[in-house]
Amino acid sequence: MTSRRAGPAGFAAALIAWCVIFAVVFPIAWIALTSIKEPRDVYALALVFTPTLDNFRTVFEHPWNLGDKLLNSIVVASVTVAVAIPVGTMAAYGFSRFSFPGKRLLFVLIIATQFVPAAIVVLPYYLMFRELDLLDSYAGLVLVNLSIVLPYAVWMIKGFIDAVPIEMEESAVIDGASRLRALREIVVPAALPGLITAALFCFTLTWNEFLFALILTKQKALTLPVGLISFHTERGDLWELMAAAGVMITLPMFLLSLVFQKHFINSLTSGAVR
Amino acid sequence: MHDRRLVLLLLVPSLAITLLMAMYPLGYSLLVSFRDWRLAKSPEPGPFVGWENYKLLLTDDPEFLASALVTLKFVVANVCVTLLVAMVIAVVLQRAGRLYSITRTLLIIPFVMSPALIGVSLRFMLNPEYGVLHSMAAGVVPTLKNTVWLSDGDWAMVALVMADVWHWAPYMALVLLGGLASVPKDSIEAAQVDGASAWRAFFTIVLPQMKPVIAVVLVLKTVFALKTFDMVYTLTRGGPGASTQTLAYQIYTTGFQFYDMGYAAAAAYLLTAVLMVLAGFYVRLMFASERSGERAAKGAGHD
Repeated sequence: MTSRRAGPAGFAAALIAWCVIFAVVFPIAWIALTSIKEPRDVYALALVFTPTLDNFRTVFEHPWNLGDKLLNSIVVASVTVAVAIPVGTMAAYGFSRFSFPGKRLLFVLIIATQFVPAAIVVLPYYLMFRELDLLDSYAGLVLVNLSIVLPYAVWMIKGFIDAVPIEMEESAVIDGASRLRALREIVVPAALPGLITAALFCFTLTWNEFLFALILTKQKALTLPVGLISFHTERGDLWELMAAAGVMITLPMFLLSLVFQKHFINSLTSGAVR
Repeated sequence: MHDRRLVLLLLVPSLAITLLMAMYPLGYSLLVSFRDWRLAKSPEPGPFVGWENYKLLLTDDPEFLASALVTLKFVVANVCVTLLVAMVIAVVLQRAGRLYSITRTLLIIPFVMSPALIGVSLRFMLNPEYGVLHSMAAGVVPTLKNTVWLSDGDWAMVALVMADVWHWAPYMALVLLGGLASVPKDSIEAAQVDGASAWRAFFTIVLPQMKPVIAVVLVLKTVFALKTFDMVYTLTRGGPGASTQTLAYQIYTTGFQFYDMGYAAAAAYLLTAVLMVLAGFYVRLMFASERSGERAAKGAGHD
């Protein structure tokens, strides 16, 4: 039925699909191409050129030191996810399986924190961190990112735990296992695809986080997205280096999302509707 | 009882992190918003000035009002275009076939890209001398040849909206695809037949059934549009002049470039008030769809 229908509507649909592909792929491909161009090819809008890996070498050298920023990004995002997922899973389990007074209010409050604009919290964070000596530190950035991703983690994981049949753990509890052991040995394995999705989502948010890193770090804990703006120099923009840094920011997310894309897409979409 | 202690143990870590990290700065900002505090002059909050900051913002600050207007323009254009583009993508991509399934898998990519990178890249690609998008646009419409996109207030706004739509519309299309999947198949097929009746079928049968999903997309997108900062910073820096200076960006410059903390806090509170109203809407929608989902599940159980 579908394949035989090739009328004007089918043609229009195919055309739109191709437009979407072009719109998504072209800008990314262009940045990727720019990252292996010499400056003169960048300014000549060249399509045919001799590729070079010099830009990738340059960004790792002084004064750009992208290696440090890459390391910072990896550490901050990994630690944030490593804390957010277990902690979020516990809360999600509590919200999913128990009823207690104020449950709905607490859940709403957790989600509502994400409606607070960053502009309003960043100044108090700045002053608080200055007081606690957390400015420009991993610990400070992890703390801030946790407060951003935890609500999403709790919310997404709750959806997955809701879908695990309660009978599975009830039988385990009857067999003498504690609730916590049932959570660890039955619920977590059953909801694992969901946990992976939530981890990926939290990693993405932390990896791309810009505003807090911009204000709360200076040098030691600078992350990749903030590193991008250093290629906007007094002598002008160093586009080929910016593109190389852009490739470094994008590549990990690209690979992760393609590897897990099926889970990722399903749960992202169902999570947002839920 | 035993269960209660367990619940406490499960919830306290998450609650401590999320609520403390939100409540403390909210409370602190509220206090600061009633004070006159220039960080450049004093590291401690200055004298209490009552509602002065708020009064000034709302009655005698053309820049704040201009930013509010810019924000309104940005949010309305952004939400409308995102929804429209996402809807078209979703309707097209729910078709069966290799082309459509491959395109569906690409939709996640713009969403995982760094907004800061998107902003910088678009600034690069719109450069009137060597920007690839500029030369493509000038190739199609020759009169655009001399346009300096980011030096023109209106075009800069268009660019900003474009960048954000690129980031969000594919993801929202995925959400809408999820919604379309729950619309009964025969109503979708009715809307796929060629001709005028297809349009009518889409608007009268499919669209009404997607109302809850569309509402979620609208509210979520509005919230994220109101919070947009990264792209403004990396694409336009609020310029030219103040033509793309959204509230989120203006609060940042007031606080961290002009160090007028009390004033920035008051402005931030006004923005927060708007966002909280939207949060209320969103929570309503969330629980409404949850309840109807439960009802549907129960109904199915009775059959």
